[in-house]
Amino acid sequence: MAEHHEFESPVDLPKEGARKRALGWITVTIFTASLFLLVTNAFALKEWVDEQPASPFQAKLAAWATEWQDATDALGLGTPRTAVHRAWKEAEAARFDGVPAADQR
Amino acid sequence: MLFPTLTFGFFFLAIYALVWTAGSRDNELRKILLLVASWVFYGAWDWRFVLLLIGSAFINWGLGRLIEHSKATSFPRRRESISTEPLESHDSENMDPRLSGDDVGKNVKTKLLVALGVIANLAILGFFKYFDFFLGEIAPLLTEAGFARDLPLMQVVLPIGISFFTFQGMSYMIDVYRGRTRPASLLDITLLMSFFPHLVAGPIVRASHLVPQFQKVPKLDRGMVAMALLLIIWGLFKKAVVASQLSTSLVDPVFFDPSAYGSADLVFAAYGYAVQIYCDFSAYSDMAIGLAALLGYRFPRNFDQPYRAASLQDFWRRWHISLSSWLRDYLYIGLGGNRGGVLYVCRNLMITMLLGGIWHGAKWTFLIWGGLHGIVLSIERIWREAKPDWMPSVPRPIGILITFHIVVLGWIFFRAETFDAAITFIQGITGWHGAATMITPLGVGLVLIGMAMQFGPPRLMQGIALRLRAVPAPLLGLMAGAAILIIDGMRFEGVAPFIYYQF
Repeated sequence: MAEHHEFESPVDLPKEGARKRALGWITVTIFTASLFLLVTNAFALKEWVDEQPASPFQAKLAAWATEWQDATDALGLGTPRTAVHRAWKEAEAARFDGVPAADQR
Repeated sequence: MLFPTLTFGFFFLAIYALVWTAGSRDNELRKILLLVASWVFYGAWDWRFVLLLIGSAFINWGLGRLIEHSKATSFPRRRESISTEPLESHDSENMDPRLSGDDVGKNVKTKLLVALGVIANLAILGFFKYFDFFLGEIAPLLTEAGFARDLPLMQVVLPIGISFFTFQGMSYMIDVYRGRTRPASLLDITLLMSFFPHLVAGPIVRASHLVPQFQKVPKLDRGMVAMALLLIIWGLFKKAVVASQLSTSLVDPVFFDPSAYGSADLVFAAYGYAVQIYCDFSAYSDMAIGLAALLGYRFPRNFDQPYRAASLQDFWRRWHISLSSWLRDYLYIGLGGNRGGVLYVCRNLMITMLLGGIWHGAKWTFLIWGGLHGIVLSIERIWREAKPDWMPSVPRPIGILITFHIVVLGWIFFRAETFDAAITFIQGITGWHGAATMITPLGVGLVLIGMAMQFGPPRLMQGIALRLRAVPAPLLGLMAGAAILIIDGMRFEGVAPFIYYQF
């Protein structure tokens, strides 16, 4: 146990030559990312709405989330997420040659 | 409200918008907004504990004031002479030279106040964390002694993050006593202890580091926010993909019943847990640091590639840095630190590590984990003192390998439900039997990714952030959105709580 740059923060980066606007820049970044996820990951939004406590408002929201997912899927916007998830599930199921799955021992 | 959930995402976006609009000109309003947001965040688990948090902040704020007052009345002339001078540095490493610890607060009243504060904080922590454990442990002894009766086990519910906010409050009070920080306003102390990014699992941010940042509306720079974004996404990957996958598909089933698995599975699960706990805990710290930075505040680094440590002393400079430095400054040095003979130092190391172990929870396995670290730190210390000059030092790669395996051995006790389960686990490894059924290509890949994080360039993330800050915002937004989409496609269904939430 010894002193070792413990009060240094990972967000301390060398300063830029000319100070540029940061708040507007990061706000636009966050807004764009949120918009991107809204159209490409309607699945996550619907999943989240479905998990909320049941109420008339939640039911309305769930219906809207389902419509939104159907609409984005119809445009193929949900395809990248589905493809990644499918590939991940295949990777999860993969076994080394000759090794049985845990539930087949 | 867990960080890697949509609920938290909406919550954070709302807070971000509020503090940078309504709170952008009026700093007091900004802090009040952050404080209320932090209480909402904490209250999402259990509203009753918000009162505990407020009560704890009141105690530490009040005692801080009383300690300062007591010091001022003990040394009035000295206080007057210094009160007009501004504090040039708030860095707690640089103690205020005008308030040297040896000549302030030596009066009995001040010391009594500090003792009262320490006792009050430890009493809160002790009641919620150790009360039932203690009664459960003494019950058999009382029965044997002929005092068989029902003990008042209360099934005390452990408030999330109590160990973290209690340590933060305690360090504030002690720092006021030592002259390392000035007494802060009630709002600042309450916000220090409640601030939602670090509230439930650290890093333990000290008053001397954060309170000065609360004094004015912070200013962002592109490097800071680019790094923040990167840390949040990187933390999301480590938690939602690596830690969650290793936990559900490997570590949890093997540690649940180690006797049902062969040696290779047990070894792999032990390595898997080493990667899981690193990815889980460092992910929380990364996200906490990133979220705080988006609100304008700098938190200290909490992890620094811990498994590349070549000694256990080096490991503790890299793992949970905010806790290890806390234990060093408020416990180890208080016990005498490096002063005295080597045996005295070893005693201090053992006490510090045993208490560090029990800080994690009321379980014998945590005590053994701490004891193991204390023993190895002591051996390292003795070896440094006794090693003949002619004997060459252990080559660094060998040191890394040995240190890593000592740490993994410790993790087995740390993770096991009981001492017997840990022994069964270790016996299973040494027995070398059974087929390997839990070793999968994905599992191996994730363990390798987790280890690669330890041996990559030390400041790789900062290098990436430096490049990102030059990227146009819409393009960076698309890149961030794509990264989160890929992580979401890979993540395990549902998100398990962070391991350190239980501490």
